[in-house]
Amino acid sequence: MRRAALALVATVVGLVLLLGFKSHSATSTASPPAAVSAPTGSGSSSSGSSRSGSTSGSSGTGSSQSGGTAGQSSTAAATKVTGSSVGTHYGPVQVQVTVANKKITAVSVLQYPTSTGRDQQINSYAIPVLKSETLSAQNANIDMVSGATYTSLGYIKSLQSALDQAGL
Amino acid sequence: MSGVAAVPGLLPTGRLPTRHVEHVMGTVVSFDLRDEVAPTVLTDAVEWLHRVDRTFSTYRSDSQISRLDRGELTAADCDADVRSVLALGSALAKASRGYFTVRPAGRLDPSGVVKGWAIERASDILRAGGSANHAVNGGGDIQLAGEAAPGQPWRVGIAHPHQPGELVTVVSGRDIAVATSGTAERGDHIVNPVTGRPATELASITLVGRDLTTVDAYATAAAAMGNAAREWVLELDGIAAFAVPAAGAPWWSSGWAAVGSVPVAA
Amino acid sequence: MATWTDQRVRPAPRAVVPPPSPRPQPARSQPRTVLGLIALGAIAVVALWWLDTPSVSGFGDWLTNAGRITGLLAGYAVVILLALMARIPAMERGIGTDRLARWHSMGGRYTVSLVVAHALLITWGYAVTAHTNVASQTATLLTSYPDVLMATVAGVLFVLVGAVSARAARARLRYETWYHLHFYTYLAVALAFSHQFAVGADFMTNLPARLLWSALYAGVAALLVWHRFVTPVRQALRHRLRVAAVHREAPGVVSVHITGRHLDELAAEPGQFFRWRFLTRDLWWSSNPYSLSAPASARLLRITVKDLGDHSAALARLAPGTRVFAEGPYGAFTAARRSRPKVLLLGGGVGITPMRALFETLPAGPGDLTLVYRASRPADVVLRRELDAIAARRGAQLHYLLGSRAKLGYDPLDARRLRALVPDLAAHDVYLCGPDAMTEAAERSLRAAGVPRSRIHAESFQL
Repeated sequence: MRRAALALVATVVGLVLLLGFKSHSATSTASPPAAVSAPTGSGSSSSGSSRSGSTSGSSGTGSSQSGGTAGQSSTAAATKVTGSSVGTHYGPVQVQVTVANKKITAVSVLQYPTSTGRDQQINSYAIPVLKSETLSAQNANIDMVSGATYTSLGYIKSLQSALDQAGL
Repeated sequence: MSGVAAVPGLLPTGRLPTRHVEHVMGTVVSFDLRDEVAPTVLTDAVEWLHRVDRTFSTYRSDSQISRLDRGELTAADCDADVRSVLALGSALAKASRGYFTVRPAGRLDPSGVVKGWAIERASDILRAGGSANHAVNGGGDIQLAGEAAPGQPWRVGIAHPHQPGELVTVVSGRDIAVATSGTAERGDHIVNPVTGRPATELASITLVGRDLTTVDAYATAAAAMGNAAREWVLELDGIAAFAVPAAGAPWWSSGWAAVGSVPVAA
Repeated sequence: MATWTDQRVRPAPRAVVPPPSPRPQPARSQPRTVLGLIALGAIAVVALWWLDTPSVSGFGDWLTNAGRITGLLAGYAVVILLALMARIPAMERGIGTDRLARWHSMGGRYTVSLVVAHALLITWGYAVTAHTNVASQTATLLTSYPDVLMATVAGVLFVLVGAVSARAARARLRYETWYHLHFYTYLAVALAFSHQFAVGADFMTNLPARLLWSALYAGVAALLVWHRFVTPVRQALRHRLRVAAVHREAPGVVSVHITGRHLDELAAEPGQFFRWRFLTRDLWWSSNPYSLSAPASARLLRITVKDLGDHSAALARLAPGTRVFAEGPYGAFTAARRSRPKVLLLGGGVGITPMRALFETLPAGPGDLTLVYRASRPADVVLRRELDAIAARRGAQLHYLLGSRAKLGYDPLDARRLRALVPDLAAHDVYLCGPDAMTEAAERSLRAAGVPRSRIHAESFQL
């Protein structure tokens, strides 16, 4: 019995040490994988950085990096910046950011692993989080509001009316 | 996320977008046109909505639908539009296994499909008139065309059913339709046709797809299904769903990632 | 009076055969080397995970990665456990069958725990990262991930085999039943193999890792097939063992003489045993280990068996000419372990048989070799005449310690008496073989008497 307890303790300690080392390296070596050079303005998170909690699948620094520098296409008001495709355990990940008036207005994940059910499970959580994380740093900046159907009376109190008034 | 949006910026042409609010069909329809078009285009669209109202409103005793229901008219006597709406209604009823119906509680009431259909047609009218980028929001059911600005997709906030004034999620995309149905605004008005009782399990459910007619009807059906909608929406091709149950955490389909954000866990 | 020494000279009985001529030493692995290699392998396996994982952040990630590490170690441990039981001659001779079995059994318990931990951690970790609950995550894993269902069945099999092998359960099962149930581990390994590559994060996109892992498994599989299946068949064809004669040594004690061809190629050392299968209608299905009771010659192998149960009683009725299947030789209880000029052989019960062979051949000068034979009653002593003759011929000491401890009122094997019996005991190498209770007590006495653990060589028959 004593040997069993010893083996259990040694295993748990070993696991914790190994995992602990890797958590620390996350903060020191993880740099944004995409070479984004567009200005991001106040408080916006840079493209492709992952929040703690999402797995390396959606944005990790991977074991291989395919080539490609940031591609840019711009119009007068908005610049689209595309990060390089980064290889991860699960497949390549590539993120594109749209910047207008020095603010990030949209985040698109151009490439993400979809081949296994696990990828899809994670994507359904991680990618929207990525988008909302990036975008919630600024105000929501919405154009319309949809809610359970409102009557004329309800409209007056609704967000949509605020939008309409601001625009009229 | 805060509720009130900033004023949309100037369009590249230096114009302000054209916005118009019209009280019609028992609700308020908001228009937001991002291109420059002749003013008659918007007028035509608005006129169309009033025409729909006159033909289909169940609140007007002289509408064709009301008269059809009372038996004063036969389907052959009605406008072609009425027949197409009724045909649409049957198809949608079949697809939704009866949860969407044009005969709730025995009366003829196609409002569940008419509003979305009318708004979609209004958007078609605008498109035909040269407006490639616009949004038409009829009481929360929205048809979007093109994008909000070059390079910028439309962003639609979804009202939080439990926290008035707040948003629960934001949808963004091009050429999409968004419809939200539920108990939150008008009270328990959606009836589950299977149980015959008001459908109360979902405070609100939002569906996103290509055309508002389908999306609107399916959203109504889903709200009537309650929690059972969760399985049903997954079978729908090209439709993404986000639901806020009356009790419990929001859930969303796996396709939601492509169109919307999700509540960030604390 | 319990002890006496017989120094009378008697003519050597014909059954005693001269020792074989010296030959080059067969390969013997050192226990420490083997353990070291196993540890190195484990480190390499963990390194695979280390190099493959850029970072770990968040609770779900911690769980999943802990699951991966335990999974990798379990996959490695399984193949090591199989290798330990592959009956590789160098390991059998160098480490010893009993020690290998103990390592396998301890390692087996640990491995089953790793397998269970792996399954639980991965499921929980996946559930946390995908924001689903554990029950639905389990269902998803079982139904939509390739090969996971098979791996789960394999895991359940491992747990069952582990449960059946636990001491409490084994005491209730017949040996053969347990033995056959244990073979389900092969099925479990086969079922679990593919999921390592199909869903294992460290293998999925890493071809070199997959190749090395496959080579490891293939290598051990080859060793198993060669040493456990091919070699016995080759040996059977080469040596064509048959029963030559059965001698009744004493009431209830028989020696079976087995003859064959090219027996010197077996390189059976005194102290070793074979797993014997006598091909008669009643006995062909069971394989039992018996030690050689005399040094092997080019033409003859001898085992001496006391009637203790069905099998041993049936041996007395063996007809000469009966074909024999023998797997071996196995065992590390050989002259190779000895490190000092003076040697004490301490045997009891069935343990006297390998002692008898060692007593005859262990190189030792007159006065340096002592055999102490512990038995409950005089009737239990076997091969007395031969032992006496060898003692006389070699000038070795021979002591019979007879009488049960209850009857005697003291333990003849306690430290004080042993020291009195064997002068200079602390400077001896001690070979110890007998019933577990006796050997445990004897080992304690020897340690108390100053014999260091490294010079106590014990063999247990509890395989």
